[in-house]
Amino acid sequence: TSEVSEAQTTDSDDIVTPVSQKCPKAGSEKICIEIVSLAFYPEAEVMSDENVEQVYVEYKFYDLPLSQTETPISLRKPRAGEEIHFHFSKVIDLDPVEQRGRRQFLFTMLTRQDPEQGCLKFTVVSDPVDEEKKECQEVGYAYLELWKIMESGDSLEQELDIVSPEDKTTPIGRLKVSLQAAAALHAIYKEMTEELFF
Amino acid sequence: MAQPQAAVSVFTMREHEDRVPDSGAVFTFGKTKFYENAPGKFWFKNDLPIALACGDEHTAVVTGNKKLYVFGSNNWGQLGLGSKTTVTKPTCVKALKPEKVKIAACGRNHTLVSTEGGRVYATGGNNEGQLGLGDTEERNTFHPIGFFTSQHKIKQLSAGSNTSAALTEDGKLFMWGDNSEGQIGLQNISNVCVPHQVTIGKPISWISCGYYHSAFVTTEGELYTFGEADCGKLGLPSQLLTNHKIPQRVPGIPDIVIQVACGGAHTVVLTEKGVYVFGMGQFGQLGLGTFIFESSEPKIIEHIKNHEVTSIFCGENHTALITATGLLYTFGDGRHGKLGLGLENLTNQFVPTLCANFFRFVVQLVACGGCHMLVFAFPRLTMAEEEYLDD
Ligand SMILES: [Mg+2]
Ligand SMILES: [Mg+2]
Repeated sequence: TSEVSEAQTTDSDDIVTPVSQKCPKAGSEKICIEIVSLAFYPEAEVMSDENVEQVYVEYKFYDLPLSQTETPISLRKPRAGEEIHFHFSKVIDLDPVEQRGRRQFLFTMLTRQDPEQGCLKFTVVSDPVDEEKKECQEVGYAYLELWKIMESGDSLEQELDIVSPEDKTTPIGRLKVSLQAAAALHAIYKEMTEELFF
Repeated sequence: MAQPQAAVSVFTMREHEDRVPDSGAVFTFGKTKFYENAPGKFWFKNDLPIALACGDEHTAVVTGNKKLYVFGSNNWGQLGLGSKTTVTKPTCVKALKPEKVKIAACGRNHTLVSTEGGRVYATGGNNEGQLGLGDTEERNTFHPIGFFTSQHKIKQLSAGSNTSAALTEDGKLFMWGDNSEGQIGLQNISNVCVPHQVTIGKPISWISCGYYHSAFVTTEGELYTFGEADCGKLGLPSQLLTNHKIPQRVPGIPDIVIQVACGGAHTVVLTEKGVYVFGMGQFGQLGLGTFIFESSEPKIIEHIKNHEVTSIFCGENHTALITATGLLYTFGDGRHGKLGLGLENLTNQFVPTLCANFFRFVVQLVACGGCHMLVFAFPRLTMAEEEYLDD
């Protein structure tokens, strides 16, 4: 049929591969955020807190519902020296026409210096096993400075300090994230600064 | 397009399925090098796959017409095409055409095939003698292993990191390559470049080489493991671990064992009563849920107990199961989309997860590699819904 093409080489002339239906987005029109893994330091209070049995990680991204930006499962709290692995990655569409709001959201992050607005903030949440008795509780935050990604390019994995809600100076653990975003951030920064000045 | 628009948009998924011939297609997931690593599919004109094999980054397909097709990474010559160039489309190994290929196995960076005439050929990386050719020089074309003759009726081949195994119809097991951890069952030698027989005095019915450990099943249904002992992947009680270089029976499985599959650091066992797992499960590859990330003791996967599993497969960090009704379940490391569960929202899976892509297919063959998975499936004529909804 017309939807089917045959491979070009004579070596493979008996192979049939359907033609691609989708046109992949350019690198400047999407970002990919991955929550890789997390560990707590053995001396951190959260390690001895019996109320914290399992945790998940979430972040907020403009219009995306939390159900799309939180790890779909909670994992047992890591033991001393152990890392727990989510490998939760999400591709976020940044179409220049349809997703202007998301591009503006990222531009704001690139131009603010304070951690709350200038960073993508990840929250580590304690998810009680017995949901009737206890409630979800935020146990730590990690901040990713997007302008650094823009300046130094994509890094496969980077480790962020996790700080507790009570004491934001002493790290209680580390969160590994991975971001493929440099091309999109460059494009957004360029187009938005041009709009500001011309 | 003659079809009305509405029908196309409503039935996008069906339309997609309809383009697969009734005889089925090979579906690719993860870092296959095929289709720019996006989920892809292909099929053969007037031919069908009968065996799939995945190495770390390369793939082999054997067809009913006894041809071998290969693609993927080729930096060690593991595709046997006479070059070291990456191959992005399934390509027939023409040099083997007269030989009629029956079985293939892919190791981390080498490939083994057996032919109708009873010969075994090898190509690719050879730093530990895993090609069985008497030396440690790599090859980029398939070379016959002199040891094997038409006397040896090969039933199964398996290949690990730098190890190789051939099992004969009459239950004889031969292994060669890296023995640094005892993964080919020898005590005091670092590697061997020619096949040697591994024997425990009973016929063997199944072999699997993991990255640095190995396991086999006897015709009586006993499981033996050997090689690297870290992380509990041998499933042995601690007092047996000092002897990890020789095959030892795994005592913790009460049922008759049928198959075993070894991954990077985990082991999956199919018995008459269910699926047992042990070893590392930090990415979910044990399928034991979100609280158990390692087990040195064989544990049954409760989550799949109501399904009759007929085949098991391990990649480096992921696991796949086929049920009697042809459904596919995957779990473990979800990176690169190798679990076949989507592309833009990926996550590790800690329990066997139904591959909804194949809900309307009968899954026949699966192979799992380092960061990829291949599936051969054909469209289902009757729905599997009832079984699934029974869950
Ligand atoms: Mg939730
Ligand atoms: Mg991996």
